[in-house]
Amino acid sequence: MAQEAERGLGAKTLAQLRRLILPACIFVVLVILWEIWVVTQKIPEAILPAPLVILHTIGLRIELLIQHTWPTTRECLAGFLLSVGVGVSIGILLALSRFFRNGIYPLIIAFQVVPKVALAPLFIVWFGLGSTSRTLLAFVIAFFPMVVNTYAGIESTDPIMVRMARAFSATRWQIFRKIEFPNALPYIFSGLRIGITFSVIGIIVAEFVTAQEGLGYLIIFSEGNVDTPMLMAALTMLSLVGVILYGIIVGIEKLVIRWDVGQQL
Amino acid sequence: MNRNSAHVHIANVRKVYQTRRDEIEAIRAVSMDVQNGEFVSILGPSGCGKSTLLMAIGGLLPITAGKILIEQQEVTGPRRETGVVFQSPVLMPWRSLMKNVLFPIETLGLPKKDYESRAVELLEMTGLAEFRENVPTELSGGMQQRVAICRALIHNPSLLLMDEPFSALDAMTRDYMNQELLRIWQEFRKTVLFVTHSIREAVYLSDRVFVMSPRPAVISKVVDIALPRPRQLEIEETPEFNKYVADLRKSIEGHIEEAPVKGQGAA
Repeated sequence: MAQEAERGLGAKTLAQLRRLILPACIFVVLVILWEIWVVTQKIPEAILPAPLVILHTIGLRIELLIQHTWPTTRECLAGFLLSVGVGVSIGILLALSRFFRNGIYPLIIAFQVVPKVALAPLFIVWFGLGSTSRTLLAFVIAFFPMVVNTYAGIESTDPIMVRMARAFSATRWQIFRKIEFPNALPYIFSGLRIGITFSVIGIIVAEFVTAQEGLGYLIIFSEGNVDTPMLMAALTMLSLVGVILYGIIVGIEKLVIRWDVGQQL
Repeated sequence: MNRNSAHVHIANVRKVYQTRRDEIEAIRAVSMDVQNGEFVSILGPSGCGKSTLLMAIGGLLPITAGKILIEQQEVTGPRRETGVVFQSPVLMPWRSLMKNVLFPIETLGLPKKDYESRAVELLEMTGLAEFRENVPTELSGGMQQRVAICRALIHNPSLLLMDEPFSALDAMTRDYMNQELLRIWQEFRKTVLFVTHSIREAVYLSDRVFVMSPRPAVISKVVDIALPRPRQLEIEETPEFNKYVADLRKSIEGHIEEAPVKGQGAA
């Protein structure tokens, strides 16, 4: 239960930004220690390159890196958006239809037990080595948290709230649209946050396997060449993509959910 | 409308809850008539089925037997001429006060524009106009419950059902809310059915008090409160007021062997 002392969005955002300062400082200190350690211990570049070397590599090969960052980002977003569309829809159907809840939900849970990554070769057989296979892998990995969170969010609606709506003659559809769906939004957004990270994982694994293009491909390729600085450079770009996508989701969440969720969750 | 006919007519209502193992008879037989513009309290210990009765009048619970007529029409579901205030404010945390108050307008499919000024008026009347764009969590419990009252009145219902609306508030806020409610009622003259387990509250507010027995409930006593209106809080100091309280207490004491525990949710 987050009881914010400060009220208003501005104050809240400022407080949250202030909370980022400490971890950011610790991160910088860790990177400096890493640099000092690698340099003083004379660790070979092929084992662990120093941060400055990685930075230098990024600067040197920026064009190549960006060329591979683009397809990764694009496919990642496509797979993610697909999982949002399908996942949220199925989550809603589960909450609204007993048939879906009793008949389909157990199947979805059973499917969740299958390690999705293991599907990559199958997708290649079906859809080839191209973008479709990678996008679909990201989709099947990110899909489950979307379904579960949407369903849980709708289910968490206070029955008293539904009774209130009924008292004012709300129809089933109005109850869903005006009560249950807004109530589910904070849950859906935490699903989105999980989903976007899962989607990145899906794309990278798929790029390992399909070995065509993208940062995952670049990582595998650099590893083959024992070009560890390049591998780390690609990894850094990948982390950057992940952080930015995650940040966008959190930003949208802040815009959409302006109420105190502490009471609700 | 015929002035002599009851606004709310309840005849031999029985309510049995079906549980997995057996049946629980919440209400055995309740009959009552409430006149137009009357303020009526239903008083009884927690868990006696008074909230059940109110929800049935609101069309939110089916009854097992008997009849509930509002304006000569049998209640089969929620009616648009009824406004309901629940035990808790039940406001949507994602909506501003203004939008919470206008909620019934949306569900009833009424033109929103026509009711916006009314919403502002209601919020003004309850002293909340300046918070109209705030969200409910920024308000105290008493303020939230006032918003819930505005919401129940927005579509201009002829009947207001209130289910222990102030039971979660502290005593001072409760006194204040009772005063406010009377002031609002004086202005709108709706028929009010008010469920409470507070004897003083029932006497202070009502024209008539119906006393309900513990489960299975029957109406054990009806008391006319012939105190003058408008009533101020000071009326609670008068011997007449305290005579009513004492009488009602006596009639309820027969029912209660143990102190009632404050109920959770609809009892």
